[in-house]
Amino acid sequence: MDETSEVLRLTKINKSFPGVKALTDIHFSLQKGEVHALVGENGAGKSTLMKILSGAYTKDSGNIEFEGRNVEITSPKFSEELGIATIYQELNLIRRITIAENVFLGRYPKKGGLIQWNKMNEDAKALFESFGIQIDVKQQLRSISLAQQQIVEIIKAVSMNAKVVIMDEPTSSLTTRETEILFRIIRELKARGTAVIFITHRLDEIYRICDRMTIMRDGCYVGTRQVKDITKGEMIAMMIGRELTQQYPVRNVELGDIVLEARNLDDGGYRVKNVSFSVRAGEVLGFAGLVGAGRTETMRLIFGADKKAGGQILIDGKEVRINHPRNAIAHKIGFVTENRKEEGLFLRSTVRVNTVMAALGKIMRLRWFFDFEKEKEIAKDYVKKLNTVTPSVNQKVMFLSGGNQQKVVLAKWLFSDSRIVIFDEPTRGIDVGAKREIYEIINQLAAEGKVILVVSSEMEEIMGISDRILVMHEGEISGELKKEEFSQNLITEFAVGGK
Amino acid sequence: MEKKGISSQIFKIANNMGAWLIILLVGIVLTAATDTFLTYDNIINVLRQSCVVAITAMGASFVVLGGEIDLSTGMAATFAGCNTALLMTKMNMPIFPAILISVFVGCICGTAAGLIVTYLKIPSFMGTLGIQYVIQGMILITTNSMPITGLPEQFLALGRGYVLGWLPIPIIIMAIFFLVGTIALRYTVFGRSVMAVGENAEAAKLSGLNVNLTRIAMFTVCGFCCAFAGIVQASRMSSGQPGSGTDLSMQALAAVYIGGTFKGSMLNTLAGALAWSFVNNGLNLLGVNAYWQKVALGIIIIFAVALDILRARLSTAKH
Repeated sequence: MDETSEVLRLTKINKSFPGVKALTDIHFSLQKGEVHALVGENGAGKSTLMKILSGAYTKDSGNIEFEGRNVEITSPKFSEELGIATIYQELNLIRRITIAENVFLGRYPKKGGLIQWNKMNEDAKALFESFGIQIDVKQQLRSISLAQQQIVEIIKAVSMNAKVVIMDEPTSSLTTRETEILFRIIRELKARGTAVIFITHRLDEIYRICDRMTIMRDGCYVGTRQVKDITKGEMIAMMIGRELTQQYPVRNVELGDIVLEARNLDDGGYRVKNVSFSVRAGEVLGFAGLVGAGRTETMRLIFGADKKAGGQILIDGKEVRINHPRNAIAHKIGFVTENRKEEGLFLRSTVRVNTVMAALGKIMRLRWFFDFEKEKEIAKDYVKKLNTVTPSVNQKVMFLSGGNQQKVVLAKWLFSDSRIVIFDEPTRGIDVGAKREIYEIINQLAAEGKVILVVSSEMEEIMGISDRILVMHEGEISGELKKEEFSQNLITEFAVGGK
Repeated sequence: MEKKGISSQIFKIANNMGAWLIILLVGIVLTAATDTFLTYDNIINVLRQSCVVAITAMGASFVVLGGEIDLSTGMAATFAGCNTALLMTKMNMPIFPAILISVFVGCICGTAAGLIVTYLKIPSFMGTLGIQYVIQGMILITTNSMPITGLPEQFLALGRGYVLGWLPIPIIIMAIFFLVGTIALRYTVFGRSVMAVGENAEAAKLSGLNVNLTRIAMFTVCGFCCAFAGIVQASRMSSGQPGSGTDLSMQALAAVYIGGTFKGSMLNTLAGALAWSFVNNGLNLLGVNAYWQKVALGIIIIFAVALDILRARLSTAKH
């Protein structure tokens, strides 16, 4: 490899967060005019590494060489000045100003202190045309599609003379056609000598657009390969290659009758397509897949949080109508959501208020009035049962740790008598000890004959706690695995769209 | 250590008292500075003056706790006052049905605001601003912008009468409202739902609460309170005054914020409304020019709310 064409070289990068070693001795090198894929499971450390490059985090140790000289990236501004531009999944653009203004934000062409609007619009137009894109740069950003907005962001990066462009899952929200346009622009960038770091979960795309790839796992560097020399199987093996550890308590439950059945669930062609499955009493059914595969959306349909466009839900063999979470709760379904702070909890309210929230009817006296004594007793009871660490039931939940907050959410659904409990990323943001406790609670619920649905992006977790796993890919169930068939290779294969 | 214990005790008491503390301070200062403040006549007078604002503010409290805002409360009150007056004078309707119809119309005004905010998804600030102008227009159309006088004697008792010769009827009405309001907020599903929706509407929905119905209902309750306040107002002034409600919406909101109702008790709203009246009264007794009074009141609002934010931050930081 030609040394002079190397634009970026990272050696032995380390980064820790309180209690977590996020990156260990990471190596990475990037050539001029190269498209370099960065792959790994969720939580492998890709984002952390890119945040170090973009200046959002600073590394603990290691060396960054940019165009042959050592640099310390201390701030996003410095990274930008070096010529590193990051295109995030959530775009950093302003919706209510024009495309041209977005491109030149903060560096409007000025004369005598006044903005030269004509020059700015013409410059912007010329920039887009140099990539073969015809677009009215005077329209507001919000009037164009998400894919087009992403292109605006890339053009903005180019106009700032970016030498390295980082794209974090740029295609996750694009249609096939939009992806084509994006790829065309990436090829154009490549031709100009700009290097692109391309983070993606879609292995097919790596073959289509990337030259080399670097694989990360658990915050460690696994290797760098020429894309043309590696098979998909080898890629997956490098991504996941590790043994399952024994942090999952053993469960021994006789499965009962089918309790919940979903038939052809559909949300109108957005994220959920024709999803059918059934679960038995005492069974833990896992949903695996990539972020954005439609797992959370499926759960929201079952729970009535979003509108169904089609399909049926059957409980104990009878069709039930669930159009609102209220109906779901009446049918004894509980939903431990992915974002407990946004969707699960009332942070400024107390543990006791949160505990009874889904079953207010159960603490009434004289039909209309709350019985606060009862509320307190119930809350205390669940604190004890779930081993929640809180000074009292009158503590506001915002002051509890992640694991204890999760237990409060759980208490809410247990108190509402749920017999079908949906867990969406049940251990996200929870430390290892509390994780194990959550798994034990899941086991206990299964032992009581409840039905458990678990959505998890952590491969180990889903294999560790499920009796059976359904894998989703782009809104559809792409595979089903029985316990004895569980393997990371198989799941990953299904998750990226089959063999 | 000892010192810290005492100061944290004081902090805790002050924290719980909220706007009652303002009333206490104003009371101490004025008792010392004037000999007219601490008299039966003065205190009763201040309480009586607070009734209209307090009842309106109670309605506004539900809306504010539910995470929205209502700028049309004053107009809704005025509308109800004028409607009652019109029905009794122009249409010779007996008192009771006239009040009933006006209160009903007030509820409809509130419900309309609720429907607009809930289903058209317009921010409540703009939605209720629009409603306010619609109601103002209706008032001007129905009254032709003229005060409606000649109200029946019995009706005037509502705002001016006494029970047992010493307890003003409007104060009794205010007390009943706050008793019911406190119970509704604290002990019923409605109150709990309002607080839940105000804090986190998504979590409320996913906990099975009826978010839309709660939003509409809180605006309806607000309309009900406003209408009642407006009727008391009309009775106090012996007339339906088309121009009387312009400032009331703002005073009601001020009472909610000064009172620190976010702590979750309706009595804080009462404290906010009373604090406002007592400060007003104090400035009067001290002979402060009416124009300067406005300046002073404005500053007090800012200080009271700033203090409340500081207080909230301190009580959070303590953990």
